[in-house]
Amino acid sequence: MRLVGVSTTYEGEKRPAIRDISLRVGSGELVSIIGPNGAGKTTLLETILGLLPSEGLVEVLGLDVKKRGREVRSRAGYVPQDFMVGAETPFLARDVVMMGRTARIGLFRLPSREDWAIVEAVMAELGILDLADRPIGKLSGGQQQKVMIARALAKEPELLLLDEPFSNLDASSRGLVCDIISGLRDELGTTILVVTHDLTAMPEDCDRVALLNGGLLTAYGEPDDVFSSEAFLVAYGPMRVKKPCWLSRRP
Amino acid sequence: MLALPPALILKALIGGALAGGLCSLLGVFAVRLRMSSMGFCMSHAAFAGAALGLLLSLDPLAMAMTCSLLTAAILGPLADKAKLPADVVAGIVFPITMALAFIFLALLPGPVIGLTALSLLWGSILTLTTLDIVCLTLLTALTVAFICLFWKEVLAVLFDPRMAEADGINAKGYVYAMLFLLGAVVALSLKLVGGLLVYALVMNSASTALQASYDMKKVFLLSPLVGSSACVAGFLLSLWLDLPVGSSIVLVSSLMFAFSIIFSPKRRRG
Repeated sequence: MRLVGVSTTYEGEKRPAIRDISLRVGSGELVSIIGPNGAGKTTLLETILGLLPSEGLVEVLGLDVKKRGREVRSRAGYVPQDFMVGAETPFLARDVVMMGRTARIGLFRLPSREDWAIVEAVMAELGILDLADRPIGKLSGGQQQKVMIARALAKEPELLLLDEPFSNLDASSRGLVCDIISGLRDELGTTILVVTHDLTAMPEDCDRVALLNGGLLTAYGEPDDVFSSEAFLVAYGPMRVKKPCWLSRRP
Repeated sequence: MLALPPALILKALIGGALAGGLCSLLGVFAVRLRMSSMGFCMSHAAFAGAALGLLLSLDPLAMAMTCSLLTAAILGPLADKAKLPADVVAGIVFPITMALAFIFLALLPGPVIGLTALSLLWGSILTLTTLDIVCLTLLTALTVAFICLFWKEVLAVLFDPRMAEADGINAKGYVYAMLFLLGAVVALSLKLVGGLLVYALVMNSASTALQASYDMKKVFLLSPLVGSSACVAGFLLSLWLDLPVGSSIVLVSSLMFAFSIIFSPKRRRG
């Protein structure tokens, strides 16, 4: 994935939400995107997916997102921030997870037995198979978040974009999701971007950290380098933020 | 009870069942995508079109269909382009369609044509022609084919269009197609319950079916059954009590909705 001089401005706004972002993410890398509120983290993810019009070059999975955004999105899994549905929503959790496979299955075809087996396997891995036949709107925030993560994983994505995926999860569920995404990277070579404002929730074994502040990419590199950088102090202020406890344990 | 030729009653029953089923089926789209205000716009555009047809001595049904589809084609992109909620755009277009309808009605010469035009307001199911029934059958086939062929995509869009787009589905295209089908069925059902009430048929039966289950497969199967039953029961009630057909159908479908709220399994505990 390659971004060169990317800026995204929302309609009616003069100031771009992200400005002149250039970064390269290697295949099979796990990158955490951090930054204070309003830094442009979600905008960056939506720009990478081609959901927002932008300036500059956005190349994902070898494709120009501006020209072939839909193709990129059909191969990328995405978990949006704080996605919740109302209690009356008439969809079963199992059907919502299957939606992730829609583009992969293709037009004019119904999900096969194999597709349903993948959906069940993903739900079992996340510990939500018992919720499969429950209406999604009746599930708790954390359970809904797991369903949305399962939806993204069921796609068998080549690129996985997770926007605050741990915000509603308890500590053990966070650990489980971290293990799953690490496994995806290690075993399948999936490229993964995780947005989080909570630094303690960052995946322990991420390869790189991208720090956004005020719409700018102010630091990008290995976690230790980013956390000890001047840009990190500027973004969060000294001693005001709890750094990941595993940082000092890294080899 | 009114005594009518059996052939006329049979035609009305078939037309009613088809239109009721189709309105309800497309009503699921309207309810889930919160397009109810757009539907009001389309039904009143159809009414204005029919009035214009009478004014210009053109086929009112063809003109109703043209205006309804034109509105359907304009509303979706207009809401997207203006980045305004559908309700706001529909709120602006709706009075325009009504104003045009009243202007066309006012310009109609002679009381007979005026009465014909007014019948569009409350519908006249007994005037359904074989052509109307053929058109309804074709549109039913088209709608069922659309739902069956694009079942996965339809489900994803009805769940959340933005998430569907993020999954690589052309959500906008599907929403426009749904609007188009809705516009067509609203125009074709104008004769059944009239321009003022047609949208109640779209919303009531779909909302009733949505009270029954959380499983969209079941909702899509139940909704047309509810719509057809409401139309047939409403029609028979109107014959029995000598009431206006459109009003009877709408009252029956509203009653069914009220019962569905009271007895909905969604509201049961345990």
